Amino acid sequence: MADVQTIENVACGFCGLGCDDLTVEVEGRQVRAKAPVCPEAARLLRRLDTADPVARVAGETASETEAADAARQILASARAPLIGGLGVDMAGAGAAVDLAIRFGGVLDHYASEGLFRNYAAAQRTGWLSTTLAEVRNRCDLLLVVGDDPSATWGRLFERFFPATPLFAGANRRVVFLGAAPGEKARGQLAGAQVVHHATEDPVAALEALGTLVAGRRPPGESFGGVGAEALAALAEELRNAHYAVVTWNAADLADGDLVATRATALVDRLNVTTRAGVFPLGGRDNIIGVNQLLLWRLGYPLRSAVRGQASSHDGTLFATEAALADADVLVWISAFRPEPPPAFAGKVIALAHPETVFDKEPDVLIPVGTPGVDHAGTVFRMDSIVSLPLGALRVATLPSVAEAVRRIAEG
Amino acid sequence: MRLRLKGGRVLDPANGENGVASGAVRDIEIEDGRIVAATDLKADAEYDLGGAVVMAGGIDLHSHIAGGKMNLARLLMQEDRRAFPEMPGNFCGCGGGRAVPTAHATGCRYAELGYTTVFEPAMVGANARGAHLEMADIPNLDTGAYLVLGNDDYFQRLLAAGAGQEQVNAYVGWMIEATQAFAIKIVNPGGINAFKFNARKMDLDEANPHYGVTPRKVLTTLIQAVTELGIPHPIHLHGCNLGVPGNDDTTLATMLATEGRRLHLTHLQFHSYGTEGDRRFSSSAARIAEMVNANSNISVDVGQVMFGQTITASADYMSQYRNRGLASPKKSIGMDIELDAACGVVPFEYKDKSFVNALQWAIGLELFLLVEDPWRIFLTTDHPNGGPFTTYPHLIRLLMDRDFRNAQLATLNKAAQAHTLLGQITREYTLEEIAILTRAAPARILGLTDKGHLGPGAVADIAVHTEDADREAMFSTTRMVFKNGRLIVKDGVVVELAQGTTHVARPEFDRSVEKDMQRWFDEAVGLKARHFRISDGELRGGAGPTILKCEGGAS
Repeated sequence: MADVQTIENVACGFCGLGCDDLTVEVEGRQVRAKAPVCPEAARLLRRLDTADPVARVAGETASETEAADAARQILASARAPLIGGLGVDMAGAGAAVDLAIRFGGVLDHYASEGLFRNYAAAQRTGWLSTTLAEVRNRCDLLLVVGDDPSATWGRLFERFFPATPLFAGANRRVVFLGAAPGEKARGQLAGAQVVHHATEDPVAALEALGTLVAGRRPPGESFGGVGAEALAALAEELRNAHYAVVTWNAADLADGDLVATRATALVDRLNVTTRAGVFPLGGRDNIIGVNQLLLWRLGYPLRSAVRGQASSHDGTLFATEAALADADVLVWISAFRPEPPPAFAGKVIALAHPETVFDKEPDVLIPVGTPGVDHAGTVFRMDSIVSLPLGALRVATLPSVAEAVRRIAEG
Repeated sequence: MRLRLKGGRVLDPANGENGVASGAVRDIEIEDGRIVAATDLKADAEYDLGGAVVMAGGIDLHSHIAGGKMNLARLLMQEDRRAFPEMPGNFCGCGGGRAVPTAHATGCRYAELGYTTVFEPAMVGANARGAHLEMADIPNLDTGAYLVLGNDDYFQRLLAAGAGQEQVNAYVGWMIEATQAFAIKIVNPGGINAFKFNARKMDLDEANPHYGVTPRKVLTTLIQAVTELGIPHPIHLHGCNLGVPGNDDTTLATMLATEGRRLHLTHLQFHSYGTEGDRRFSSSAARIAEMVNANSNISVDVGQVMFGQTITASADYMSQYRNRGLASPKKSIGMDIELDAACGVVPFEYKDKSFVNALQWAIGLELFLLVEDPWRIFLTTDHPNGGPFTTYPHLIRLLMDRDFRNAQLATLNKAAQAHTLLGQITREYTLEEIAILTRAAPARILGLTDKGHLGPGAVADIAVHTEDADREAMFSTTRMVFKNGRLIVKDGVVVELAQGTTHVARPEFDRSVEKDMQRWFDEAVGLKARHFRISDGELRGGAGPTILKCEGGAS
């Protein structure tokens, strides 16, 4: 029997919140997280002492070299590859860009919908934003738009609202504009005053709020189902707050782009007289880091294509779903979780988490290790500023994405 | 590997050699990436320079080339990327942009101009890991970064609590090591922090609304810290009141606040504004230059404004927020960052017909021409804030060619022409002075003893220019550029990509500060100090940094 090894202060790269205080037990090949940990991290860190799956080509067991050779052959004759998924650490992201430069291809991350909804606002007007440590210590009024985000980011409010902030004082308030906060959120916010304004149209409510904050009264009795008086009172609180923060998860909101636009405008108006910032939620599977790397390497964010030694960007055409319609090869990369590729008629090369369940056998399957479990790596937090070093928890038996891609590209 | 560069006119002010003036030609010999004394040994390769001008590779001590704010700028200004697509060349599909070029384009364009070392002057600690990853993807350049300090709540708290200098030094040392920084930058001392408490301006002796700490205290404490830690580069200061008419008095007071200790004032042009004239905006370059000339402890870089579209990116969110109404196109980004600093990104178009922009241009040139000692003034546009670094050849001609300069001046806003002394200044920079500004002096002030010169032992970073009376043409292209003795540019075209290194300074400090840092990160920041800290192996794809060990100075 292997000894049980307890590793403290483990950094977690899955949801983008960037918790780095996890305690993990490792016993031989087995990994299990102990508190403090959210359910998603517990699930994604869990490893049993099972044999790794091996590479396959057309469903037949293959060596890693054979799989890399097969992938290279497919890519060499590809007309329009899509390099998708992109659940990778920074080294994996660099390798994916190298692959696009070598063979051409569109680059997108599977969770980019929310990011681009936010960019609809950001690229038109810009925005005034803030980061986690500022929220923790300065935010005295937090406006949460849409659904309770605790389902996706299990420790969000625990991280947002520590017991003893440096500046925010004892009277911290959280206003939910949308769905009601769940039990978990209420528990984590026990030290704050929690208010809920139910609405199914947060865009209308935010728009009215923006008008009110600017000192004008919008015509109407209620906005998105929230009474004008309640919104007027909230506007007054926002104006009186020292540091208000507006947060939302654009991926979960049908009108995420409009929520982002209205929230941005609201915060813009608040900053004329007091301080405030937006804190857009997102960041799953290092999407922010991959996006950062594309920006410095290609000059464009995700949903960009490299073709003929030039790159271009189109937030609509190069989104995974649209790009798949034009693609003949899909390189699907998902190292953090067993995210299966979307349905696709063309050839599929999968660099996949070992537990991935495929609807259709990929043409080439190369199982890859998980950053922060099998190998070290770097991931960005959702605020796009802070990045974390992930350590290895056990000896790797599978290649990292960077190694697997290198083997494909270098042959 | 031995190389011989034959028959060049060597311009090497650090070693007192001026082949341009004397007309003498000689060979330069390189062995394994370093310059060596001439030998009779057979070389593996020889390059005939045909009397061309040979200088050490250029060193830019202040150019924003990496970090989160540059990515925000790229995101906000996709127009810039689209307008400047990839240059022809067989390297990749990843080079474009002018005001905010990609990492690849940054490395290639700088190399084409003969630059081989560039320092990012505003790395925020919270973003340091990302900045280092980005710098590692810049080809052809050695890099390094100055850590933004002084607005962080940890430091402000220390000062408010009356901490002793030794405690401050331990903190500064810890931060430099943890973030793999080369020097300390202060941006709007205390002002960025004050803005988080809703202060909108901050003068040298104004108290922070929360901590009560003044910018003067921030400045003098950090000057003392880098002195006692032995960091070679002095405090690199972006002063109070950037861009505000009347900031000249603050700038002068800031120089006096040093009490004779070393200080580098960056993008001085933006801090040399008076309030004279009917438009309440005037040049104070003469006053400021006089003070610089009289105080040998002061060094400056200019941050010259160059006309055209650019984007400004700064940690000075307070000032950027104030100026965002001037954004063109009309959009901007601001961000408070991690109890640490902030950033503001504002696109800007400097127009030659604008009174203010034209006068800014003239003020920058006045500073260049009125500061007498070429060892204490550096050629910068504060890329991209005053203009992209690719405008350097044009700027060099403005400095070297009075007729050209005056012809340019004559095309500008008429009122601005009437408000500047520029037309009466006869000084023209010599080639030797340009070599000092762009090579010898930056190496000296950064403490890089094996750079910026061509003597034995120097890194073989070498730029070869064909002399041309049109200095803009001369400096727009290079005949050859060598990086660590490898030919990377030939006839103005990048022929090979070299992997650079990252310079870091490593001071000694009292490591008992570690416990307090851990507590601060746990309780306030919400991140483990050990994860904030960047290990050597994280730099340059595992190659690690080039470490400059610091000898503690007078304490």
